[in-house]
Amino acid sequence: MSEKCSAANKGVFSAAVRANKQLGQRFYQLGLEFSGAGAEVFANFKPGQFVELDVSGTALPPAEAIPEDLVDVSGRKVLLRRPFSFCDVTAKKNKTFAEILYCVVGPATLRMTTLTAGDSVSIIGPLGNGFWVPESKKRALLVVGGMGAGPLEHLAKVFTADYPDMEVIAFAGAKTVEELPFEARLDEISQQLGFSLGEFAKYGIESLVATDDGSAGFAGLVTDCLSEWLGKSDLAGENMIIYGCGPEQMLAQVAEIAKDKKIDCQVSMERRMACGIRVCQSCAVECRVAGSNETVYKLCCEDGPVFESREVVF
Amino acid sequence: MNKDVDISVNFSGIGLANPVLTASGTSGYADELADFMDVNSLGGFITKSITLKPRKGNATPRIVETDSGMLNAIGWANIGLDAFVEEKLPVLEKLSCAVFVNIAGETIDEYVAVAQRLAAEKAIAGFELNVSCPNVEKGGISFGTDPAQVTEITSAVKKVSGEKILMVKLAPAVTDISVIARAAVEAGANALSLINTFTAMVVDVETRRPVLANKTGGLSGPAIKPIAVYLVNKVYNEVAKGSGIPVLGLGGIRTASDAIEFIIAGASAVAVGTANFIEPGCAIKIIEGIKKYCACKEIANIKELVGSLEVS
Ligand SMILES: Cc1cc2nc3c(=O)[nH]c(=O)nc-3n(C[C@H](O)[C@H](O)[C@H](O)COP(=O)(O)OP(=O)(O)OC[C@H]3O[C@@H](n4cnc5c(N)ncnc54)[C@H](O)[C@@H]3O)c2cc1C
Ligand SMILES: Cc1cc2nc3c(=O)[nH]c(=O)nc-3n(C[C@H](O)[C@H](O)[C@H](O)COP(=O)(O)O)c2cc1C
Ligand code: FES
Repeated sequence: MSEKCSAANKGVFSAAVRANKQLGQRFYQLGLEFSGAGAEVFANFKPGQFVELDVSGTALPPAEAIPEDLVDVSGRKVLLRRPFSFCDVTAKKNKTFAEILYCVVGPATLRMTTLTAGDSVSIIGPLGNGFWVPESKKRALLVVGGMGAGPLEHLAKVFTADYPDMEVIAFAGAKTVEELPFEARLDEISQQLGFSLGEFAKYGIESLVATDDGSAGFAGLVTDCLSEWLGKSDLAGENMIIYGCGPEQMLAQVAEIAKDKKIDCQVSMERRMACGIRVCQSCAVECRVAGSNETVYKLCCEDGPVFESREVVF
Repeated sequence: MNKDVDISVNFSGIGLANPVLTASGTSGYADELADFMDVNSLGGFITKSITLKPRKGNATPRIVETDSGMLNAIGWANIGLDAFVEEKLPVLEKLSCAVFVNIAGETIDEYVAVAQRLAAEKAIAGFELNVSCPNVEKGGISFGTDPAQVTEITSAVKKVSGEKILMVKLAPAVTDISVIARAAVEAGANALSLINTFTAMVVDVETRRPVLANKTGGLSGPAIKPIAVYLVNKVYNEVAKGSGIPVLGLGGIRTASDAIEFIIAGASAVAVGTANFIEPGCAIKIIEGIKKYCACKEIANIKELVGSLEVS
């Protein structure tokens, strides 16, 4: 993980669905199981990498289960695969288990809700470059915006396992408490300390919650919460690193804060992707060229999705 | 059942091991697909459009999914001729299948310059002229909708193409595609490929804006297949058959039966585009499927199938 890691042995694999659990009104967690060659390949899946899932053949839920705002789009046939990160990966003997945390926003994610244990899905992966951990960092700040939680949950797990000396703190924001993609939201002890999310607490990681409407935790943007927290921090910027995943506006703010405080920062970018395998050129991310005013388009699926924030033109 | 099926194709003098290629802009420069298939098993490979100078391409979003299709407005994002020669040609040189370089430009001189530079390269079997791209402001489709311009550009490139075969890729949204096809053939085209994408638009009803940054994009995928089959048949009957020019058929092909439809309609070979995104190895399955179909139908040589549409 200290090196920038890219995907090796990517390919088309089939995964068995183990579970598909509803976590909130719009949030689900899909449990997958890889065996054979897939188990080996996905055992090395790095936080921040992604897969392309084919749900074109998956059925829609019954009409009454379709949220009103998605009724019109639900009838659209799904053609392309969809990109997803994993929020957890566990390699056991001959099997690798992976979890996708997803939000229902359109025809593909709507279809995903009907997957049940025993179904099989086609997956292309592992794709892209994940997060990496530069030397000399003592504290990592994970900044989650809404559905950006997945890869940072996975990163939290890796920190706990492989970087026991790293101090890790998670910041998670959403518009309202309902839109926080977590199962275990609050408990009493954590309320006294601030707030704690079970998803991070299980790795011994403290978390701070921000909601725009103040329905939980800090009232305001997660980036304001981060700024305020950093204002009180005693550690020099160069000893810290920020990892961000969430809406682009949030990432742009995180990048500003990181620049201001001279903290290294990696962000996971999202683009509409037709292929995920660098053949279509749809996923361009505008990046600065070091030492010049020029910019180039890099490919989110190939050069990213994780980029150094100072590189990205938001 | 006849097992000895010959599905090799003589494509205007170029020998293709089978009639299945991958389409321009949907399969990179070949090395990208190596994780998913043996590119050498293809009948041929067509590069992303190459322009004289590198092009950054359009802003994002560059794609949007539609019913059974997608729009793209990539804007010829490509590394440019020099980098292509330096970085990609060595990869293509190692391929044993036929390699076609797709050429695009804003002026006729740009097309000519690219063809001239590549005309002596052994790795390349031929050129595909993209006179039909809807996603750039100048050039592209504006060439492809005007027969006089098609004549001019085809003959200009033909002059510098040396031994390479010249295939002209046609835009589908014209009043009479045969007029354009004829212009290309009379100006020296050795083959025709059709179709490129249809200019189209998706509107976001919340913002009342087009979804694509470029406003419009090219529609591809299964949605365009029946139109593509029709146009291939029309060009085959009205132009290609009479002049002995092969047609490369494409548009929405995902399966062997899709490919066979095009062949029956008059295509000597086919190319797989959008389907590469969904199932990157599907071209290989299509080749197997074509073989199987021919064996079942006791077709000894795929030639028998080309243009075999029964209409009586
Ligand atoms: C690298 C990567 C990792 C991802 N990981 C996850 C994940 O772990 N969990 C998860 O829930 N989602 C994730 N996504 C987003 C997910 O791919 C989309 O939500 C999904 O494709 C939506 O498909 P759909 O058919 O349900 O909705 P669509 O109709 O395709 O999309 C619904 C709306 O969402 C927006 N949208 C869709 N895709 C994107 C995109 N790529 N970038 C910006 N806006 C978009 C559009 O405005 C669209 O109108 C990831 C995306 C990328 C690029
Ligand atoms: C993302 C994308 C990029 C494309 N880029 C090019 C290109 O650079 N040059 C070109 O001639 N055609 C390009 N095409 C058109 C395809 O080669 C093909 O003609 C068209 O997509 C129809 O085939 P399909 O439906 O199988 O995709 C592109 C298509 C797509 C979807
Ligand atoms: S999604 Fe196709 S190149 Fe990145």
